[in-house]
Amino acid sequence: MLWLQVFVNGLAVGGLYACIAVGFSLVWGVLSVINILHGSLIVLGGYLAFFAHQQWGINPLLFAPVAGAVLFVLGAGVQGLVINHVMARPFLITLLLTFGLNLFLDNSMLALFSADYRKVLLDPPLGVFDLGAIVVPADRIYATVIGLILIGLLALLLRTTQLGRAIIAVRMDRDAAALLGIDVRRTYAIAFGLGAFMAGCAGALLSVIFPISPVASAGYLGKAFVICVLGGLGSIPGAVLGGFALGIIESFGALFLGPEHAMTLAFLLLILLLAVRPSGLLGKRGFA
Amino acid sequence: MSGILLDVQGLEVAYGDVQVVWSADLVVRHGTTTALIGSNGAGKSTLLRALSGLLRPLRGSIVIGGRDLAGASPRDFVDNGIAHVPEGRRLFTGLSVHDNLLLGAYRRQDGKAAIRADLERMYDLFPRLAERRRQDATTMSGGEQQMCAIARGLMAAPRLLLIDELSLGLAPAVVDQLVETLHRVRADGASLLVVEQDVGIALELADHVYIMDQGRTVRNGPSDVIAADSSILAAYMGT
Repeated sequence: MLWLQVFVNGLAVGGLYACIAVGFSLVWGVLSVINILHGSLIVLGGYLAFFAHQQWGINPLLFAPVAGAVLFVLGAGVQGLVINHVMARPFLITLLLTFGLNLFLDNSMLALFSADYRKVLLDPPLGVFDLGAIVVPADRIYATVIGLILIGLLALLLRTTQLGRAIIAVRMDRDAAALLGIDVRRTYAIAFGLGAFMAGCAGALLSVIFPISPVASAGYLGKAFVICVLGGLGSIPGAVLGGFALGIIESFGALFLGPEHAMTLAFLLLILLLAVRPSGLLGKRGFA
Repeated sequence: MSGILLDVQGLEVAYGDVQVVWSADLVVRHGTTTALIGSNGAGKSTLLRALSGLLRPLRGSIVIGGRDLAGASPRDFVDNGIAHVPEGRRLFTGLSVHDNLLLGAYRRQDGKAAIRADLERMYDLFPRLAERRRQDATTMSGGEQQMCAIARGLMAAPRLLLIDELSLGLAPAVVDQLVETLHRVRADGASLLVVEQDVGIALELADHVYIMDQGRTVRNGPSDVIAADSSILAAYMGT
């Protein structure tokens, strides 16, 4: 029964982890930019949800799309005004730029909000689902389900709209896309904005479970990276699979090695997977 | 003689510091097929890339429908009725035939009904595409991919369709089929400018032929006149 409980604990955060990674995966896949800023965007989404709850009593779970929308505007602006200028440069330049932007945003948040951990305390608390043999915290289930719904909507957008097709076209062949009249820079800005949207949503959903602090951003970035490589880059199903895989791995890692080593096991498996199957479990060439 | 659709005068084009096209003058008339032939490295594809905005010419004019588009963006060329089917097809991996065709209509503003009608027209022109509309476009045979690329270009509802290397790497039977379909496309009112390595195919396809040599358009004339003068082809094409 302990094992079942540990397994379900992993599942319960899986959708949330997928939500952390899917935006990172989209930006990496479409723009070939490793967005070091991603973790900070998640934290910023968490702060937005925290203050919306503090000021107006809005439940962060419901606020997630609003936090996402704010982050979309910020993300599209950053890509359109800053990162677009170095897109033609070598890969390391964009990496360095997002690293710098990450330092800037992290320290801005430190200055504005301090490093103190803040916690959203829902009143009344959401409680637990008591299934007899096992117990599942309700906040995690809600957050995971909402996260999966948002990922589903993103997948729908990419598969069924002209905007989604244009994003995939730009990813696969920039010149051929331009020949059809697609504005490549604008599409980059929208794709980055969508990545930031998912980061903002993830941050808001995380805020009901984990404390919020600017120092958490590196941890989220690390998780996003592990999930993308586990599941396979450039695939939404891959991010979902990777999210659940990491949730379960962490859960068992905490059981066997102690909670402080939860991520150790994940990174060990990551190294193993990179050696054996570098494309990830569901890695493929199109973004779908 | 029908009116002039595209008028290119004194065009010079370079890749970075390397000038490839030194002097191109070319006219495409409404409702005609024009072929651009010449040996490898003559500058045909480079000229075509300038005619769709992928390359910015150093000098010269590209007038379509009374507007000079030299130096404009690819999107401006699409909006002014030029669609470019690139060399090597360049279909989008991970997208179905249907999605590739829909992307061809990316800049169209004339409504969903018109786009849907054109989709059906494409499936009528290329029945093979209708059979494979749900398939990843880049998993098809070379001939089917060329059909898809041409149909994607036509989905922009262009006044002028540019096709780079129509027959390259395709089986003769497939090429015959494509030539026949392109005759139908022209009969429907579109104009075509086709870069073609194979002189026989070019002469069969086109009403008018331009010959390029070392970055210049050196000769041109109606297909039958060019075909009849073996000295021209011998001089520039080595045939």
